[in-house]
Amino acid sequence: MVLRIRLARFGKSHAPFYNIVVAHARTARNSKPLEVLGTYNPIPQPPRPGDTNGRPWKDIKLDSSRARYWVGVGAQPSDTVWRLLSMVGILEPKFRVGQIKSQVVRADSAAKSLIPPRTISTPPAETQTA
Amino acid sequence: MPPRLRSPNFPCAATSSPSIRSQPTAHRSRASREFSQTTCQHATLRRRRFYDWLNGHGSLLKEPLPGSTNYLGAYDRYGNLVRAPPGWTRKTQEEEVKVEEPKTDEAEAEPDKETPEGQEAVDELEMAVRREEEKNKDTRKQKDDDKLPPETAEDLRPFPLNKHFRSQPVLSEELREAIYRRVARDGASVSLASVEFGVSNERVGAVVRLKQIEKEWIAQGKKLALPYAKAVLAMVPTTPYIDPSLPSNKGKRPITHEAINDLIVHPATRQQLFVPVSESRQFTRVDAGKAFDNDLLPADDRIPHPELVQAERDIASGLSLQQRRQLAEERMEQELERKKQIELKRQEALKRVKTVSGRRWDFVFEDVSVESVGRDGRSAKGVGWRYGFPHEDRKKGQVKIPTKVEA
Repeated sequence: MVLRIRLARFGKSHAPFYNIVVAHARTARNSKPLEVLGTYNPIPQPPRPGDTNGRPWKDIKLDSSRARYWVGVGAQPSDTVWRLLSMVGILEPKFRVGQIKSQVVRADSAAKSLIPPRTISTPPAETQTA
Repeated sequence: MPPRLRSPNFPCAATSSPSIRSQPTAHRSRASREFSQTTCQHATLRRRRFYDWLNGHGSLLKEPLPGSTNYLGAYDRYGNLVRAPPGWTRKTQEEEVKVEEPKTDEAEAEPDKETPEGQEAVDELEMAVRREEEKNKDTRKQKDDDKLPPETAEDLRPFPLNKHFRSQPVLSEELREAIYRRVARDGASVSLASVEFGVSNERVGAVVRLKQIEKEWIAQGKKLALPYAKAVLAMVPTTPYIDPSLPSNKGKRPITHEAINDLIVHPATRQQLFVPVSESRQFTRVDAGKAFDNDLLPADDRIPHPELVQAERDIASGLSLQQRRQLAEERMEQELERKKQIELKRQEALKRVKTVSGRRWDFVFEDVSVESVGRDGRSAKGVGWRYGFPHEDRKKGQVKIPTKVEA
């Protein structure tokens, strides 16, 4: 039986919400899966209070180590899940390869710049890097 | 019947009434408006007085006195500067320019001579300092007889008819710079800087933020409206900065800008409450806070600087200076530790999140664990929408109106 990593639609009409699930390919969309890896909320959320850039954001919860495992044992992600997994670097991007790769590089560098806490003596430097 | 159009040769004053001929010179320009068809207005008493004032005492205000706010309230009705000593005469402009250069040197050498303008005495300590300064001034009076005394509270009334309005001082440029340096360069906390400079927490925060923007603008090469800032600051009373590093300022305390430990009125406390309490019960401030609102903290915890109260308590309990200092340092360390923990937690939370920015929005990936559903896979804490449980949003008693807004 083919295992798939795919989305299961929950939520209401006009308010979609997805579980990212690992399930057998021939089972129904919302049937009980083998495992729920996470969730995907496709509705952009308003910018968070501390966010200086003021950009909307999409909330995705994902157990990446479990996702890696399932991909490693041959589970086949659907196109949408492939796109999401490629963003966190679990899979090679299939769609808009260059764009996704550059996104990932940028996100990685941003995360690296974030981890060492900056000293207070140089506050204006932070704005220049952004 | 008067002619509708007047010839410019005849000023309207000549045709109407002889009493108007004594009009001041400033008003004459009106006659040249030959296009105007409005009838000539009578020169009322008020108008005449206005022009008298404009050409008389009012002309003094045309050129501002250096180092003074130039308010109307500082002059009496005869146009004399109230605070000026009897022999004082205002210099002409050339003389002022001549005096300007040695005056600045003098001010740097003896800054204690310059009292804060517009400082209303807030407490007795301030009063004592002020009195001392006054004494110093008296001794120096012989030296500079022509020098103006500083403005008193009565001189700081910009509107003479409104006796109760006193102009409040603003932070001087040097003080703002000092606050910014203390917080941004030395890394002092906002509340510490607030205590040191006698400026409220909110104002310190605002000063730091605005100064930072100013520095950024200077770095970007943006043009600042400095002449405007200078002119405005010259017109309002300011709180000066007393630089403790200067030898002449040794042993001096900074001038308090405002009361820093005022209790902010919470909206829940605006109502009047009558709470019957049995005599045997201890009713403290904590209970008073709870009586207004269950979540309301007592006033002791809501004031901006509870540590000052604690310091006073230590003094009252008769501890020595050494012990008090040690206690205060311990408290400060605890506070720093608490802040560090919060910051660490924030960093941890940020590490768990990975943000990939797309074209229109960011994709925020949060790491979760599939184990959270529990062994039977039915725990409510598990990730995602639950299987085999009906959604409860149509049930009775489900509140869908948001009770909290994050801002």
